[in-house]
This record gives sequence, C-alpha cells and structure tokens, in this order.
Amino acid sequence: MNAPAILIAFPKGRLGDELVPLLAGTPLALDAQALKSRVLRIPTATPGVSALLLKGADLPRYVAAGVASLGIVGSDTLDEMDMDLLELADLGFGACRLSLCALAGLSLDELRAKPHLRLATKFPRATEAWLTREGLTAELVPLSSSAELAPLLGLADAIVDLVQTGGTLKAHGLVETAVLGRSSARLVAARGAYLSEPARIRPLADALIAALKG
Amino acid sequence: MPVRTPHFPDLLFGPAERLRRWEDALMGLLADHGYRELHPSLVLRDTVPDGALRFFDGDELVALRWDFTMALASLLARRFPEPPERVSYAGAVFRRPVQPWEAVERFEVGCERITTEGQSSTEADVELARLLMAIPGVLGLKSAILHMGNAALVRRPLEAEGLSPELAAEVVAALSRRAPHRVAQALEGHPSATRLSAHAQALLSELDGPASLAALSASPYAELLQEEVDHMDRALQALLPILPANLELRVDLADVAGLDFYTGPTLRLWAPGAQQELAAGGRYDRLFPGLGRPWKAAGFCVRLSRLLDLAETRPDLFEQP
Repeated sequence: MNAPAILIAFPKGRLGDELVPLLAGTPLALDAQALKSRVLRIPTATPGVSALLLKGADLPRYVAAGVASLGIVGSDTLDEMDMDLLELADLGFGACRLSLCALAGLSLDELRAKPHLRLATKFPRATEAWLTREGLTAELVPLSSSAELAPLLGLADAIVDLVQTGGTLKAHGLVETAVLGRSSARLVAARGAYLSEPARIRPLADALIAALKG
Repeated sequence: MPVRTPHFPDLLFGPAERLRRWEDALMGLLADHGYRELHPSLVLRDTVPDGALRFFDGDELVALRWDFTMALASLLARRFPEPPERVSYAGAVFRRPVQPWEAVERFEVGCERITTEGQSSTEADVELARLLMAIPGVLGLKSAILHMGNAALVRRPLEAEGLSPELAAEVVAALSRRAPHRVAQALEGHPSATRLSAHAQALLSELDGPASLAALSASPYAELLQEEVDHMDRALQALLPILPANLELRVDLADVAGLDFYTGPTLRLWAPGAQQELAAGGRYDRLFPGLGRPWKAAGFCVRLSRLLDLAETRPDLFEQP
C-alpha cells in the first residue's frame, strides 16, 4: 500500500476567494475545472496532493484529527476553538479587525453604562475575553451569520464581528466603537503529520508560505 | 489517517493476540538489558490527580492508576532506601482524554533508569535511547523516526529571563503550536521580547538530522545552552553509528511537550503517517527530589494502544509476522 494522498484544507468564502488566485501558477494551484464543479475535493498541480474545500468553522477539526495534513484558516476561527494543531505561519492576507460595532451615535461609554448589555456575536470566546479585560458583564446572543441585523431589529445593543472594509457596517448604519483584536490567515498543520512525515509535509508548507505570504 | 479508538476498547482475537505478543517482546527486551518489573497497584489512594478516573471506595475517594511513572515513583520513594537502577512496567492506565478520539484505558510498556549521586546521567540517557531505537524492530515496524529534543532548551532561557508563570505558559503554548508569530505576540512589550523571539525562531527553524543542532548558534542564548548542546551532540555521536537502517534520527529543538515535567533530553518515536507518537520519554530529575529522594531519573513509555490502532488502520507500516 502506497502512502495515502496528502489533503490540504482550504476555506470556502472570503479567505478562499483571496487565496485561490494567489495559488495560480504554483505547485499547489487548484484544478480550474474541478473548482467550477460542485465537488469539494479538488486536485492540485502536484500529484498525490488534493485540496478540501471546507467551512472555516469545520476546518480546524479536519486538521486536528489528521484527516487533512495542512490547512489555511483565519486566526479568529482558531482563537474560538481549542484544537491541538500547529500554526506554522501568519500568512498576512485576509487581515481584518474583530470589532465591537453599534448603531451610529451610540458611544462605547453609553454601551458600558447600560445595566443589561446584550452583544450578538459568533465569537463568544473572544468577546468574553474582552469583557473580562474591560471589567464588563454582558448577555451574549450567539449568532452564526448576519449579525449586523441584530442591533437594527433590537435583538442586541451591539455586535462583535469581523470588519474588513467597513462596507457592510456602513450599509446597516453601524460604526466600530472598539477594536477587540485582529485576524489574518494562518497556515495550520496536523501535529502528527508534521512530526511523523516532515519530509513530505514541510516542503508543502514552505510552498504555501512562499505563494501566500505577502 | 484518523485515529478511531473507542474510549474503553474491547480487544478481540487479533488485537488481543498482538497486545500479548508485543508486551512479551518488549518486556523481554527490557529484561535482557537488566530491567526488572515492578507492578504498582491499579488503585491510587494517596493522590487523586485531575484527569484520573475517580470513584468512591466506601467513603474514600480513590483513582485508577493514571500514569506508571508517578505510581512507580511513589512506590520507589516509599519502599526503597536505595533505588533499583532499572525498572520496567507493563499494564493499563486510565486517563480522561484530552482529544475526543483518545482512549481512556491505555495499554503501556515502559522503563525507568534511576541514578544516584556520582552516576552518569549521560550514559543513562544514551542507554535509554539505544533501547528505544531497538523498539521499532521488536514491534515489526518497517520504519520509524526518533525525535531527540531537550526540555532545557526552552526551560532555561525562560527561567533566565524571569518570566511570570502565566507569560511563560503562553510562550510554551505558542512554541507547542510551532507558531513563532504567537511567541512574539505573547511577549509584546516585555524586555526579553527580542531575545526570546529570536530564540523561538532558532528553535523552530529546523526539524532535521543531527545538523539541526547548529541552528542554536543563531540563538541569543547559545552560550547559556552550551552544556545542553554538548550533551545532545555527545548522545548523537554515540547513537548515529548504531542507527538501524529503518530508523531516522531527527533533532527537534522545539519539543516542549511535558515541559513542566521533563528537565533534560526528550525522546519521541513516530511512524511515518502516524497521528500520535508511539513512544515518548526523557529525563525528569525533579520527580524524586520532590518526593524526598535525591535520585535522578529518566525513562520512556511505549504506547501500545496507539500501536494497536496503527496496526488496524495502517497495516502496511508493519512487517507481517
């Protein structure tokens, strides 16, 4: 039996949209025909190496379990999960802020003064850490998408969400009132694959860093 | 290759036979080198650590044996005025898993090499490394990788810089993730940030053969760590001429697993494609002094449960018996 194929987990969505063009022309370029189809396992230009297209929130689990040997995921997702995996490089792209955002005109001090602050977010861990640092308490409203609607419709007083250009916030009449942290794309690796097959995995990791790190 | 261990595995005929055969072969190897078996009780009554499987025996809270090294250390310190130099063990330990795919009941074989005042730690370390090098052959693994590290390479610079326990833990966690950017982030604003970040870069720059030791020359702590580097170099010089053809020796400068326990050289055995190390050990000179005995110790443990998993999921990695 030959050694199994190496799988690299790539994120769908915002980060994926940024990285696919960056990989074009490299040994890890994704097969253009397969990308147009609905398949989620895409051959790369290197025989024996395939890409898995996964939701960011699922991706660390595939890597930590060793199903995928390498992966690319936002540090915001990593920070929300307690996964045993290696984080080989900060690739720099996909940079955005994790921010507290509220309706225009509502200041941070006014939010602080609320007796019962409600924050909608899909980043509860980072939000709780910030609340602790600030000495605040709040009710967290867990959401998985479209958090911008929450303050508009009264579900929450403010949101904690990723902000890249601020366009979506502006379209909903929201402004950043505090920056909680920063996020960027990270190259992650399965601990087992990296340590038990360094001769196979390290060159691929180096190729990804060369192609993707700005 | 995913790991699919049930938490309390029932071993049917094939794996049960394999476990018995491997236990016998490994204990035979250890006996041939002068290691004598001790069998500490399966039930711990003195200490009930976090992560152990605990239950009440009447009104008394007890735990199942969660680690042989700790159980043996307690037994040796209690029952022996002078320690036996070589001890071996075999059996099950019960530990709550960190990852969901890990077993609670785990089968292990291992050994401890204990030295007293005036005896050479280096010789003991090389003896253990030689034994570990023989294990892939005993188990029928077609090939394996032995990683050699040294806990002091991280521990000593952190202690020299006087980092708070919290900050040191953050740096160690970042090194464990092999994330130099996280090390720099954790140290932001600390007076030692530049030095320790450069050290982290040096530790993480190589994961290769014996020449990897040279990467430490780029560290600001190269002088502080000269003794450790010399020790590793001597061990490598002793081991390389007898390296079996199917075993690759790599130097892993950034091995920080168990850093709160290990004090010196560490060894980890991997098979290509395995998701978890198959054997691990090292020097832990603070264990016996903590129990009131001025003894030094090192040892390793072969994780038979992981090997049983590997034999099921990757039989191609083993010679057929």
